[in-house]
Amino acid sequence: MNVAISFLKKPLVIALLLIVALLYLGEGLSPGFASADQILRLLIVASLLGIVAAGQNVVILGGREGIDLSVGGVVSLSAIIAGNVMNGADGGILPAVLACLAAGAFFGLLNGLGVTLLRIPPLVMTLGMLGVLQGLLVVIRNGIPSGRAAPGLSAFVTQPLVLGIPGIIWLWIAVGLFMAFMLSRTVFGHRIYAIGSNEHAAYMAGVPVRRMRIGLFMISGMFAAVAGLCLLGYSGSSFANVGEQYMLSSIIAVVFGGTSLAGGKGGYTGTMAGALLLVILQGILTTVNIDESGRQMVFGATLLLLMLFYGRGRAMRA
Amino acid sequence: MSKLKLNGVSKAYGATLALRRGDLEIAAGEVHVLMGSNGSGKSTLCKIIAGSVRPDGGEILIDGQPVTISGPQSARAQGIGIFYQELSLAGNRSVEENICLAMLPVKARMFIDRAALKARAARYIDLFTGVFGDGFAAETLVGNLRADQRQLVEIMKALASEAPILIFDEPTSALDRAQVDRFFDILRRLKRDGRGIIFISHRMDEITAIGDRVTIIRDGETIKTLNLNETDPAAVIRLMVGGAGDMPASRSSAPAVASFATGAAMTVDKLSGAGFRNVSFEVAKGEILGLGGLHGQGQSAMLRAIFGAGAITSGGIRIGGDHFDARSPRDAIRRGCAYVSGDRGRDGVIVGRPIIENVTPIHYLRDRLMIAHPRSLKEKAMPALAAMHTKFASLLHPINSLSGGNQQKVIIARWLIDRPDVLLLDDPTKGIDLSAKADLFALIRQLAADGLGILLYSSEDAELLGNANRILVFNGGSVTRELTGEDRTRYNLYQAAYEAA
Repeated sequence: MNVAISFLKKPLVIALLLIVALLYLGEGLSPGFASADQILRLLIVASLLGIVAAGQNVVILGGREGIDLSVGGVVSLSAIIAGNVMNGADGGILPAVLACLAAGAFFGLLNGLGVTLLRIPPLVMTLGMLGVLQGLLVVIRNGIPSGRAAPGLSAFVTQPLVLGIPGIIWLWIAVGLFMAFMLSRTVFGHRIYAIGSNEHAAYMAGVPVRRMRIGLFMISGMFAAVAGLCLLGYSGSSFANVGEQYMLSSIIAVVFGGTSLAGGKGGYTGTMAGALLLVILQGILTTVNIDESGRQMVFGATLLLLMLFYGRGRAMRA
Repeated sequence: MSKLKLNGVSKAYGATLALRRGDLEIAAGEVHVLMGSNGSGKSTLCKIIAGSVRPDGGEILIDGQPVTISGPQSARAQGIGIFYQELSLAGNRSVEENICLAMLPVKARMFIDRAALKARAARYIDLFTGVFGDGFAAETLVGNLRADQRQLVEIMKALASEAPILIFDEPTSALDRAQVDRFFDILRRLKRDGRGIIFISHRMDEITAIGDRVTIIRDGETIKTLNLNETDPAAVIRLMVGGAGDMPASRSSAPAVASFATGAAMTVDKLSGAGFRNVSFEVAKGEILGLGGLHGQGQSAMLRAIFGAGAITSGGIRIGGDHFDARSPRDAIRRGCAYVSGDRGRDGVIVGRPIIENVTPIHYLRDRLMIAHPRSLKEKAMPALAAMHTKFASLLHPINSLSGGNQQKVIIARWLIDRPDVLLLDDPTKGIDLSAKADLFALIRQLAADGLGILLYSSEDAELLGNANRILVFNGGSVTRELTGEDRTRYNLYQAAYEAA
C-alpha cells in the first residue's frame, strides 16, 4: 500500500497519468484529438520543446538558482541564422547547423561568464541576455531577409523518416538517451549533481565549479540553437520572436518532471514527460478556442501551482 | 549584596547536558571572569543570562529578587547588556545607528530623532578617541570597517545599553594593545559606578589585568570561584584541566615514533596568510603532527590555505622535494594533498546523492576519468569503505540516510582509493560517535604507518595527546609551543593555549 502510494507520488508517474487523462479529455472535447496522426504531430511539437528543456534541465540541476531565461531568444536567433545560411538549399544544412551551434555556444558562454566571473545571479544575467537577443533580432530583421528552410530540413522535421516516425522525434529520443547516459554514467554528469547539491563540498573535492557552470550554460545555448533550427524546419520560414514561448514552457517542463529548482535533484526522463504534457495541454486549450494570451496565463498559473506542490514537498523533507 | 546570582542553573540539548550545574554570583563593582575550555558550558551560561537560551532548571536572582528571563528583550528590560562574540551589527548601517539600534531615539512617536541619535552615539564613540585607527567615523558604514573597528562598535553598542549588568564574551580577540588598554580603562570606570561585569577571555594576561574574581567551569559545572589576587595562573589552569592534568599521554596509546630518516612528507617554511602567520614545521613520512590550541587560533585557516582554499601571503611549502603552491583544492588534490574537514555539512557531504558518488570524486580527478563505470567504481569504493568499517546497506542509498559518523567515514574513504602523500585533518571527529572515532584513528595510524605525512588539528585534547607524535600549539595565529615526548601533557597544552600570545 505504502509502496503504491509512494510510486504514485513520483513526478514521472503523475506526469504520465496526466498525459493519458488529458488525451482522453481532448478526445472527448474534439473527436480525433488522440488519433495517431494528431499524436505524432503533438510529439513533433513536444520534441522541439523537449530539446530546449534539456538545456534548461542541466542549468537548473547545477543549482545556485541556475535558470536560463535566454533560451527563447537563442531559439529565435538560431532560426534566423539557419534560414539565412541555408536559404532554401539542402547544401546549406550542415553550415547552418554549425553556425547555429556556434551562436548558441557563444551566448551560453556569455551567460556562464556573467554568472561565474561577474557573479550576476542567473535570473538577472539570462534575463538581460534575453533583452540583448531580442534587440539583436530587431536589428538583424531590418538588415536581411528571414530566409527559408531547406527542403531536407523540413522533411526531417515533418515527414516520416524511419518506421513512419519523423526524424525530429528520433532526434529527441537520441537526446533523451544522451542525457540519461550523461547524467548517470559520466563524471561530468555526477559533477553536475555534486555542484547542484553542495557547491562548496564539490569545490573542496576538486570539482572545477566555475568551468562546470559555464559549460552548463553553453550546453543550454546549444540545445536551444538546435531547437531553433528544427523550428525553422517545422514552420518553413522564421518569423519574429518565434522562440519566445520557450522560456516559460521549458521551465515548466523541467519542474513538472520533478527536477528541483534548488538544483541537484531530478533528471531528464521526467522533463520529457513534462514537455509532452504541456504540449497536449496546449493542444486542448487550442481546441477549446483559448487564444495565445489565455494559454500563457494557464501556463503561468501551472508553474505557480507546481511550485506550491513541489515546494511544500521539499520543505517537509528537509 | 550580589547584583546577579545563579543557583544550580542547568540546560540540556536533547541528550547532551550542556550545563549540569551553574552557580555564579556577580557583585556590584566587580569584573568577574568566566573561564573554561571549549564546550565546557560557559557560552550556554552566558546565553541563559542574556535570555537567548531558556534554562531547564535552577533560579536566577537580580538584586536578590528571583526573576524569569524569557528572552533577549526581557533581559534588556531587567538590566542586562551583552557583547556578542559573533557580533550583532548591521553592515549596511552607520556606526552611530548601530550603537543606538536597541533604543532608537524617536520624536513625534514615529520619526528618528537624528540629532539625539548623533549625540547619544557620540558619547560612546568619544570613549575610544585616538585608538580606532584610520577610516573610522560616526557616519561610516559598519560593513566598511576593519575587524577590530567592528569589534569596537559592538563594545560601544553594549555600553550604550547602560545596563547595570554587562556581559563581554571575548570582546578583545581582534583588538590591538592600545584598544585593549582603553577598553580596560572604561571597564574600571564602570566598576567604580557599581556595575557588575562578566568577562570572558582566553588570554591569561588580560584576565589578571582586569579581573577581580574568576569562576572556573568544567564539563558543564562551575567548579570554583577564586579571588584573582590570591591565586596564580597555574592554579587556574590546573582547575580547568581537572585531576589527571599532569599525567603525560599514556604510554599504551603512544603512537609509532616517526623517523626523519624516511624523509619529510611536507615542509612548511615561514607561512603566513589570512588568520595565521610565520608558521614553520616539517612532517616526516609516517608522522602524525598534532596542531593544538584554542579554537580559531589559525589551525583551520592554515590547513585550508595549504589545501588551496585560503589565501597565503608569504612563505613556502614543499611536498616531498617539490615546491607546492596549490591555487585551488583541485590543484592540491592532483599534487597528492588531501583535506578532511570536521564541518562535513559544508565541506564534505554531497547531500541527497548516493554513497558511491560521495566516495568517487577524488578518484575521478586523480585518474582523469570521463566515464563513470558502475562496476569498476564499486570495486574501488568497497575496499575504501571497508577500511573504515563503514556501515551501509547499498552504495546507491543517499548519503543522508547514514549516521553522522558513517557519513564522515564515507568522506574519508574518498581519499583512500588513490592515496595522497599528505593528509590534512581539520577537526575530523567533530560531532561523531565514539566508535566511529575509534575506527577513524585506527585508520589514521595505519595510514601513517604506510608512510603518509599527517597533520591533525583537533579540538579534543585527548585525540591529540593520544595520537600525535608532536604537538604544535597555536595561539593568536602562530605556533607558540612545541610539545614532544614527556611534555605532551594536558596541563602543558592548556598552559600554552592560554598564555599571552
